[in-house]
Amino acid sequence: MEFLKSGIKTVLGSTEPGQQPSAAETVEKLVDRVYSSTLLEDRRDACRALKALSRKYRIEVGAQGMPPLVQVLQNDGQDAEIISYALDTLCNIVTSEEFDEEADNPTVSVNVGEQFTEMFIKTPENVSLVMGYLEEYDFRVRRAAIQLITSLIANKTRELQELVLVSPMGVSKLMDLLTDSREVIRNDVLLLLIELTKGNSNIQKIVAFENAFDRLFDIVHDEGCSDGGIVVEDCLILLLNLLKNNSSNQQFFKEGSYIQRLAPMFVLASDVEETGWTPQKVSNFHCMLQVVRALVTPSNQQQVVTACQRVMQKSQLLQGLCDILMSSGVPADILTETINAVAEVVRGDHENQDELSHVMAPSSPPRPAIVVLLMSMINEKQLLALRSAVLYCFECFLYRNPDGQRAVVQTLLPSSTTDVSSLSTGQLLCTGLFSSDTLANWFSAVAIMHTLVDNVALKEELLRVLLATPGGHRPITLLEQCTNLMQQERYRLQSKVGLLMLLSVWLAHCPGAVKALLETQGTMAYLTAQLCANEHDEREYLVQGMCAFLMGLCIQFNDNSLPNQRREDISQLIIKRIGQETFCNKLSEVSRHEAYSRACKQAQIRAKSAGELLLDYEYCKLYKGLEALIAKLVSGFDVDGIELTELTLSSEASALVAQYKGIIRGMDAQIQQLQQSVKELEQQNGEIKQQLGQEQALKSQVSDQITLLKAQLLAATSGTGQTPAPGTTTNNEEELNAARYQTNMYFAENIRLTKELETLRQQLQAEKQRADDASQALKSTQKDQEDLLELLADQEAKIARYEEQLPTTTIATPSAGSESETTTAATNPMPQPTSLIPTNPIEAAPETESNR
Amino acid sequence: MSYAYLFKYIIIGDTGVGKSCLLLQFTDKRFQPVHDLTIGVEFGARMITIDGKQIKLQIWDTAGQEAFRSITRSYYRGAAGALLVYDITRRETFNHLTTWLEDARQHSNSNMVIMLIGNKSDLDSRREVKKEEGEAFAREHGLVFMETSARTAANVEEAFINTAKEIYEKIQEGVFDINNEANGIKIGPQASPTNPSLPGSGGAAGAANSGCC
Ligand SMILES: Nc1nc2c(ncn2[C@@H]2O[C@H](COP(=O)(O)OP(=O)(O)O)[C@@H](O)[C@H]2O)c(=O)[nH]1
Ligand SMILES: [Mg+2]
Repeated sequence: MEFLKSGIKTVLGSTEPGQQPSAAETVEKLVDRVYSSTLLEDRRDACRALKALSRKYRIEVGAQGMPPLVQVLQNDGQDAEIISYALDTLCNIVTSEEFDEEADNPTVSVNVGEQFTEMFIKTPENVSLVMGYLEEYDFRVRRAAIQLITSLIANKTRELQELVLVSPMGVSKLMDLLTDSREVIRNDVLLLLIELTKGNSNIQKIVAFENAFDRLFDIVHDEGCSDGGIVVEDCLILLLNLLKNNSSNQQFFKEGSYIQRLAPMFVLASDVEETGWTPQKVSNFHCMLQVVRALVTPSNQQQVVTACQRVMQKSQLLQGLCDILMSSGVPADILTETINAVAEVVRGDHENQDELSHVMAPSSPPRPAIVVLLMSMINEKQLLALRSAVLYCFECFLYRNPDGQRAVVQTLLPSSTTDVSSLSTGQLLCTGLFSSDTLANWFSAVAIMHTLVDNVALKEELLRVLLATPGGHRPITLLEQCTNLMQQERYRLQSKVGLLMLLSVWLAHCPGAVKALLETQGTMAYLTAQLCANEHDEREYLVQGMCAFLMGLCIQFNDNSLPNQRREDISQLIIKRIGQETFCNKLSEVSRHEAYSRACKQAQIRAKSAGELLLDYEYCKLYKGLEALIAKLVSGFDVDGIELTELTLSSEASALVAQYKGIIRGMDAQIQQLQQSVKELEQQNGEIKQQLGQEQALKSQVSDQITLLKAQLLAATSGTGQTPAPGTTTNNEEELNAARYQTNMYFAENIRLTKELETLRQQLQAEKQRADDASQALKSTQKDQEDLLELLADQEAKIARYEEQLPTTTIATPSAGSESETTTAATNPMPQPTSLIPTNPIEAAPETESNR
Repeated sequence: MSYAYLFKYIIIGDTGVGKSCLLLQFTDKRFQPVHDLTIGVEFGARMITIDGKQIKLQIWDTAGQEAFRSITRSYYRGAAGALLVYDITRRETFNHLTTWLEDARQHSNSNMVIMLIGNKSDLDSRREVKKEEGEAFAREHGLVFMETSARTAANVEEAFINTAKEIYEKIQEGVFDINNEANGIKIGPQASPTNPSLPGSGGAAGAANSGCC
């Protein structure tokens, strides 16, 4: 009852005199008004009041206000104002941002916004409801909805991403908002999309599919590219979200020719030194460089990296980056990130590495950019990040680049013809190696190490490098100098780690280097002493492990050419002085060190402090491949120096291995030969195909001409032999020949036809003859008949005469005459003239005639 | 690598019917017998020639599983062409075509060209769906039909290219609004009459047009 009363009082606008209501009570009253008021204006006022309170009394408003606010969203959709208040209030409740108004309120904990977010999204329909208001064109509503969703995503990213994904066309609708002509909306949508795309590759792909790259580049260009404001940065951050670790989008980006749109943005305006680098420009540039790296970072799919690297060269993006490297006034962190970007754009791509090697610095005298970079690397005064970046860039330049590796080593060889006065890469690295700056030692050792990776030939070459010694003593080899430095007390741990890595890579797979090391003074003794020492520092453990690894390499790649320093001699040393188990324990120290897992993660050198620079990526790779082998090898020797494991081969087995190696080499050569001949054949095939194509084209041309000529000939002949118009007679010889040919053909045909006619005539003649003969025969037959008829008449006359004389004769022969008459009548009943003919031998002929 | 037009395609159909293999065969001209299950969506692209014009195809290969259906739906709207694939050796993949088609029709723009594909034609001995049935279904629903083999490459080129031809014809007939990128069609940079210094063509076109007209 009390509640109802106070509710009514609030609606009526009166309060108890002298008693200020608590925030909770006020909120309660307002909530009640939102629920129960039938007038829109009242509900709207209450919502406005809730919004005002929500900044200072977030908990009170959030705890009670959510259901009524949702109800407003459900029912009051027609009124933009109340909807915008409701959305704004919800936004204030769920945001993780802390308001000034609530700064002194101890009940507001840091994650109160997150808790309210959780409450709100527990009913997924709430999210759909808010998503629905994105389609509302009204500025206040749309903007409030965008901001609310952004806050929700920021607090509960995964859950919201799922909800947006299952909401029909959810992502697509959000993308549509990016084309809103109102800049404020567009910019807010950018922020929303940045939150939405974080770490969700499915959403990233849909956003990209919805033409995000086009939209973003359009905005970036409209806003002035790297000189633009924070909107440019937002666009680039979103771009980065879409590309990072998303190979599908990376491929789409490359295929859609967007690298070509990125490239010109790296071209610095000629007046950049005067206009300077504003903080915003630095931020924008940083993002642009990140975008480049997102496409070519070594952890990406190899084919994507390679394809992007090619385009980056062709589109002159690489050139733009190199220009930045060599220009002055570039802020240090931009320079550092540019070096890292150049590193990854050239890594493993021969053409790009070549391009980098030809970049010249505008110094006097002009020097190769790589030399200038290495100068920074060994310069104590340069920033750590920059020096690390240079090393990374140098490593990437040498990665899968035997020519580049050789060029560096070449500058150190005695035969080197390089100008003594000009600084060479090799000289710089040696300077660094022998300098008093520990970091310079480490950087230089690792850099030299990278000239040797996967290149046994250069390991042999580097053995020939001689160094002059002060005081005119005999020159010593670089390897010897390295072992000397390693044993010096003043050479600090980090430097030693660098040297141990250099020596390990040098010795691996190179018996010549093993032999050279074994021949140096005191090295084995030093290594043994290191392994026996009782150290307590974690970093000393690392050095011990690395020493063990180096010793192991001396066994593994030992060609047994030094007496007393053969495989079994060294293992005996280990067994007797160190102990197999201790050795293996120490060996495993390397992979147990945190520097190891850090270095294994990526090729890039990342160190927050100088002390973190210990192990290198390539060294770790080598270690990973050989650790187990060396451990097995060492523990496989017995006390008498006999190798027990299967890793050590009997002489027959070795012979067999050698034999197989020979066979493989032979097969390799064969394969190469075959590949060569395949290439040649392919080329020939191509040429032949081309020729064939040409022939075919010619043939079809000729046949076209023939058809044309035939048609012309036909026209000419049907024109009743009229001579063709002068225009046509000017046709070439070929046509004439064809016409002649045709004429000849018709001539021959004519002859053939005439002949045939002749034959036919002859045949006709013969037929006529036959016909004449036949009519002749007919005539004679007719004559015969007439004769016979005459004869017949004669006979009849005779018969009549005989009949008159009949009585006498009948008496004379009565039987014969009567019998003959009856016979005739019986056989021939038809009254025929011939039947009357007496059977008289003389009259036989006419009878046959009538029967015919 | 300039082009006259760019078409966006999607490949849809039950899982295991060979969508990813078809894409790989078309873009890389190779067949991968053991293929990873597609998670979400993968992208591929290739240039083709129609009517003497260079046309760039951008193809999104989707995952067939039900779990990814809502993701797949997001791709219909912006696609100019769809390859709807079933497996001729598995009848159920044919039976599900109606569902796929309903989904596609509901979420795509009405001009989207749909090509029905009966894949794995090389496995004729294990055939469960007759070619005539595919033809009948296509006729009934107004689709183009073809049997393909991602393994032997039979008809694979044709499937992608014929779809493009259909779209191209629709453009010639003026059915497609080529200035609306949401239809999955883009005019190439060479063919575009707009000033190259104004890269905004699609969404920004409205503003640019009002500015210059
Ligand atoms: N014989 C044959 N097998 C195929 C063909 N196309 C795909 N496959 C096989 O079908 C399986 C599924 O292919 P996939 O492309 O991953 O199907 P998706 O799930 O639709 O992408 C794979 O084992 C392929 O090797 C085809 O044309 N012929
Ligand atoms: Mg697949």
